[in-house]
Amino acid sequence: MKTAHEIRPGNVIMLDGSPWVVQKTETTRSGRNAAIVKLKLKNLLLNSGTETTFKGEDKLEDIILDRLDCTYSYFADPMFVFMDAEYNQYDVEAENLGDAAAYIVDGMEETCQVTFYDGKAISVEMPTTIVREVTYTEPSARGDTSGKVMKPATITGGGTVSVADFVKVGDKIEIDTRTGEFKKRV
Amino acid sequence: MTNTPRSTHWDIFCTVVDNYGDIGVTWRLAKQMVNEYQIPVNLWVDDLASFSHILPTLDPLKATQSFNGVNIIHWKEPLPVAFVAGAMLIEAFACELPEQVKAQLAYLHQNAPKSVPIWLNLEYLSAEDWVEGCHGLPSLQANGLKKYFYFPGFGAKTGGLICEQNLFAERDAWQADTANKLQLFTDLGLKDIQAQDTVISVFSYETEALPALCELWQQSAEKIHALIPKGRSLNSLTHLLPCDIAALVPGQQINHGNLTLHILPMTDQQGFDRLLWSCDFNIVRGEDSFLRAQWAAKPFIWHIYPQEDDYHLVKLEAFLKLYCDNLPPKIACYWSELNLAFNQAQQSAVSLHWQNLNPVNLPLLHHAKQWPINALNAADLATRLVQFVKNS
Repeated sequence: MKTAHEIRPGNVIMLDGSPWVVQKTETTRSGRNAAIVKLKLKNLLLNSGTETTFKGEDKLEDIILDRLDCTYSYFADPMFVFMDAEYNQYDVEAENLGDAAAYIVDGMEETCQVTFYDGKAISVEMPTTIVREVTYTEPSARGDTSGKVMKPATITGGGTVSVADFVKVGDKIEIDTRTGEFKKRV
Repeated sequence: MTNTPRSTHWDIFCTVVDNYGDIGVTWRLAKQMVNEYQIPVNLWVDDLASFSHILPTLDPLKATQSFNGVNIIHWKEPLPVAFVAGAMLIEAFACELPEQVKAQLAYLHQNAPKSVPIWLNLEYLSAEDWVEGCHGLPSLQANGLKKYFYFPGFGAKTGGLICEQNLFAERDAWQADTANKLQLFTDLGLKDIQAQDTVISVFSYETEALPALCELWQQSAEKIHALIPKGRSLNSLTHLLPCDIAALVPGQQINHGNLTLHILPMTDQQGFDRLLWSCDFNIVRGEDSFLRAQWAAKPFIWHIYPQEDDYHLVKLEAFLKLYCDNLPPKIACYWSELNLAFNQAQQSAVSLHWQNLNPVNLPLLHHAKQWPINALNAADLATRLVQFVKNS
């Protein structure tokens, strides 16, 4: 069991007798420090999608499916193709990657975990932290160095991350793929 | 168990976290559902002693009792009366339902699905953008049951704001006659308040901003009365008190320069509304009094419940942005900075922004009168909740 707060894109959870792959997670804060977790899910049996909400501490049954360490190979619309150490290729639908798709770039070296259900590659779990280069962000507006003032930044691959105001174009930043949050400048 | 249609009553479960907030919201909602929609309501509350602060006639020792048409049940283990599922089951502010209730929901889901109530988690009020994206979404339970997350809010796609249908008319009638507020102050045992005096209610958490404001008010050219109940605000003002807080009595006056501190007696919710309507400025906290201060159509400071990593400031700024949308920029800036400074306990800043705001409070007052109409977005929370049930 995992708490809703611990669920990541690529996990598969069991709800009402059906396996659902988590395509996207969004954590927000309600009153009195309570976390609210919004999940975008896809039913692996019916191929249908839904959005659902949990308290952060709600327990969810995550299924341990077959996984393989793979590296990203190339994109063949609408499939991302990954390759294992023995050069076997696995196609994963772009839709199933959810937010993780924003972190996938050509030539990336990080090892991802491809998840299989019923013999089919159904999702990809990114490493907890990745490093990406900032390709665009506005110059620092207030000269803030505390890291509390945030601004949007585009990273390699086209994704957008909210970064500390002191981050500049060309900086390499560490991102937590579970939350999409900027962690630090590398 | 037969597959019969469910009963029409609603159940609301509430755990009391502080003395007034959670229970304040659920008590108002329960009364409104009974009064305006004739829906029978069971309000299950775990702490009747705290509840009695805002409902003084409540007997904390009784397991069940009825007030304003609401059936109030002491929520303890085991439940003093059997839970019978109705049309709606509300867990307020993500409180954990009793095991007996959850077991019955699971049983009904398996054996009498038409008898399963609509189950929702009534969440905290927030002005943040994400609320619209989460409001009304189901929470799929492992056993197949669905619980919905219901988010109060200011936008058309949120769950709305608690506001009784006749509230604004009552408020306007009250505020039209100065004699009402003077009579209220007398009834509360508060002396020496004249019609032209500035009266400020204070219902905050502890903050160093309060002593700074009090120092400013002491030096004011005009008389200022700060009305403060025994509680957390006074913890920040002990240096101004003649004795321990415990020894203070309602109606007691403490004079410092042109500032008079008045110790307020506890009032019920209607009395609190009238107090907010009667003051020139209100300092409120949490959720329930925050909303009632908006409905009072008077300027206010919101002391928001503090969260880890200063996340409450994100929530505060989301509201300030919304509230200031139609305010002249200068006033919007002063008022926002005042609220931010108060919430960050910045003594010099709170004094500065109070002084900045003071000369321009007429437009702010005008805005405060218009704001409730805009904020309601055509439908209050109870109306939207009833519609939610119809659509589910």
